[in-house]
Amino acid sequence: MSNPSEINGGSAVAMIGKDCVAIACDLRLGLQSVTVSGDFEKIFQYGGNFVAFTGLATDVQTVSTELRQKHALYEMVEERSMEPNTAAHLVSSMLYSRRFAPWFVGPLVAGINSTTGEPYVCSFDSIGSMDVSHDFVVTGTATNQLYGMAESLYEKDMSPEQLFETISQTLLCAADRDAITGSGGLVYVIEKNGKVTKKLLKSRQD
Amino acid sequence: MDTVIDQLPKSVDAAAALPACVNGLPNFEFPSIDTPSAFLRAFTDDASNPDVPIKPQHGTTTLAFKFQGGIIVAVDSRASAGSWIASQKVKKVLEINPFMLGTMAGGAADCQFWERWLGSQCRLYELRNKKRISVSAASKILANVTYHYKGSGLSMGTMVCGYSEKNNTLEPEIYYVDSDGSRVAGQLFSVGSGQTFAYGVLDQGYDYNLSVEDALTLGKRAIIAATHRDAYSGNSCNLYHLKPTGWVYHGNYDAAAEIWRLKEAEGSFNDIRTK
Amino acid sequence: MADRYSFSLTTFSPNGKLIQIEYALQAVNAGVTSVGIKAQNGVVLATEKKVMSQLVDGDSLTKISQITPDVGMVYSGMGPDFRVLVDKARKNAHSNYKMIYQEYPPTRVVVQDIARTVQEATQAGGVRPYGVSLLVAGYDDNHKFGLYQIDPSGSYYPWKATAIGKGSSSAKTFLEKRWNEELELEDAIHITLLTLKESIEGEMTGDNVEICVVGLPNDDMLGFEGVPNVQGPRFRTLSSQEIQDRLDSL
Repeated sequence: MSNPSEINGGSAVAMIGKDCVAIACDLRLGLQSVTVSGDFEKIFQYGGNFVAFTGLATDVQTVSTELRQKHALYEMVEERSMEPNTAAHLVSSMLYSRRFAPWFVGPLVAGINSTTGEPYVCSFDSIGSMDVSHDFVVTGTATNQLYGMAESLYEKDMSPEQLFETISQTLLCAADRDAITGSGGLVYVIEKNGKVTKKLLKSRQD
Repeated sequence: MDTVIDQLPKSVDAAAALPACVNGLPNFEFPSIDTPSAFLRAFTDDASNPDVPIKPQHGTTTLAFKFQGGIIVAVDSRASAGSWIASQKVKKVLEINPFMLGTMAGGAADCQFWERWLGSQCRLYELRNKKRISVSAASKILANVTYHYKGSGLSMGTMVCGYSEKNNTLEPEIYYVDSDGSRVAGQLFSVGSGQTFAYGVLDQGYDYNLSVEDALTLGKRAIIAATHRDAYSGNSCNLYHLKPTGWVYHGNYDAAAEIWRLKEAEGSFNDIRTK
Repeated sequence: MADRYSFSLTTFSPNGKLIQIEYALQAVNAGVTSVGIKAQNGVVLATEKKVMSQLVDGDSLTKISQITPDVGMVYSGMGPDFRVLVDKARKNAHSNYKMIYQEYPPTRVVVQDIARTVQEATQAGGVRPYGVSLLVAGYDDNHKFGLYQIDPSGSYYPWKATAIGKGSSSAKTFLEKRWNEELELEDAIHITLLTLKESIEGEMTGDNVEICVVGLPNDDMLGFEGVPNVQGPRFRTLSSQEIQDRLDSL
């Protein structure tokens, strides 16, 4: 496979619940068919914002680090925390700045706005087109499978517990139909009151 | 030319669904252009063009080895087209007859068709000659076919395993046959995208004097190792034991369950994150 | 040898001062007084509009400029230098902020950007410092209403109320007596006029005083309607009639 976005494999999904959001990713890192690691986290935390990067692993690392720098600088200069929609626009700008030599990443942003309390999820293509959603967003090599699962399992106004179950089943079942997604999963559930729960999903290891 | 194929009966084309036979081989139509194989490759070779309209199924781990108790055949059960997992319960061991098994790697359709075809050729041989065909002869029939179609885009890597009568005794034999036209006899093979991982386990644990139980465990263990590391192998392991009296199916083992069990029992698979 | 030093560069004097900056401050202190007051529900900026001839069309002359929908600024000192800074501040707010975050910069970020520009002119070769002090008023959701002063050195200070220019010291003394925490925007406008009155020679009218406020959103200034969750600009220039009305009730 010569497509850079499909060399390392990996997928992520984010969902909105009632006063909460969840974001999940798989843990596989592969080199084409060979699974190299089952401990490659694709979700990064920037204050109250959670950003998943799927795609080419080297770009995932570079862009996530560059975003860490930009986020830190923002919070120092502005003496305030960055809201999810601002983080999303920042990601979008970073990606579009590479319009003609793109990063091979497919990011997701999830978080809760600290002033309005509104949950927020958003997905991007590799050059920064934003897709703000009111229910769920998916990305990665199992995109088709994730859409299928999410479309059928998602319900409005789920509690944090229901949201965890739904996003976990969505990721796990989608991974079962993608050869280069899997080797375990990670789920973050973020609640309005600031509570963040990080859980490891033990999944099929084939 | 007096090849094996030339000697084959010409009456197999009775079934309307199959192409008519010419020289004992089903007569497939080729595109009527100068380079039909290049034309076909443009439509099916997903390695050089990921957007091909026809994606044959690839990706497998299969193995077979001889030991003092006969032959162990073990395979995985995943079928993939690109990264898409098309099926999780493919039968990759083709039961040619009660004494002969073929394994399947490469194009699923090619393997299924030609091994089923091989099965009928072997049966016809039996009827004509009142004795079972040797593994050597059966594998040669298959290799003649793959050589005949060499360059046309067939994709198969198979092991023909069974017992043949030699010097009035039954001897276990394994022949590796592939779509390049190769045909190689040997005592231990692994074929498919996960073969390297399986060889790793086999080379480390293989001994001709293995007990039947240990040999079955080794075969299964090698497949499980491959399902773990190879993205295109997975779901489950089908296990067979070939004995002079015929083959014995030893069941289907879920790869995920096996990995967790082995991790606990052997203290292996320590790369798996648990917290 | 002489031409090696013929370019302009701000350098320290032996007693540790940057004379060029002091000269710039003198230009500011010779400039027209400007006043800024922060109230509970808004900020007001005001200055005297000196018309040098009866023939000048005073309506087209403005000294308080909008930078973003919620931020504006006024100056004391050299008008041309001010316009350069307004241009840079507006451009900065868009290119280096709005185009990245899809929102306007908060007041302090605008102030820091301008202050950086002003400071760079004190350390670069071939340029002179800007001959202006600025009062920047603005609003952002996080820090609410803000009032800042920027000097030719590049320093900036947050204020509750302050004045710059010729009459600044007496104006500040006056503001110290009149300012309190409970001030409403209308009170602040009132105090601004009283403060300016001290320094203005001759009669004060709606035509020779300029006032801008940063207060509640002005949805009527959007130019469109019917779009939910969109706010009008908070920065607004008072018309000469509005100023005259307030002067009449002084």
